[in-house]
Amino acid sequence: MASTPSKSQILSLFRSLLRTARDFSDYNIREYTKRRTIDGFRHNRHVSDPSSIAAAYSDAESQLQIARRQVIVYSLYVPKLKSVMEIKHA
Amino acid sequence: MVTVGWTKSGFPSLRTSRFRVSCSAKPETVQKVCEIVKKQLALPAESELTPESKFAALGADSLDTVEIVMSLEEEFGISVEEESSQNITTVQEAADLIEKLVQKKSEA
Repeated sequence: MASTPSKSQILSLFRSLLRTARDFSDYNIREYTKRRTIDGFRHNRHVSDPSSIAAAYSDAESQLQIARRQVIVYSLYVPKLKSVMEIKHA
Repeated sequence: MVTVGWTKSGFPSLRTSRFRVSCSAKPETVQKVCEIVKKQLALPAESELTPESKFAALGADSLDTVEIVMSLEEEFGISVEEESSQNITTVQEAADLIEKLVQKKSEA
């Protein structure tokens, strides 16, 4: 199907995932998404086989679509109390 | 240097000039950038970071650079474009870009 994604495309996808993670209002899912994208991209750092690279890239793309939808869903049910981790102590 | 009193969020008492033409960033900005880079790359606190330090020389790969740019965006409340972020290779470049974006934001 699509040819192997270039380095800048991969980095752009990485950035989009991290940006989407920032839009979550819930602390837990936000931190999880950031952690998971960083872990996922680092895990596949040394993959050199083009078809594996393309497979991992499309996998990440579908995860990005899921995350974007979930940002909207989560924003419908924002709890009144913030997570204790988000309370900054002076 | 003209002392102009305007409030910028997060920078309480600084002397800055509206007419400065040179592209050097404030030392506080450079300092914050260095701290974020050190934290991201897990460098020891005593390691010397000059404004000319290249991220790649400090052991950062491209993923680290993206993460550093993200942390800087959050820290300074700015938004970096795709093309600009690909050109950031040293601490000084990051600080200059931050200054430019913060200034643009406060003028908007």
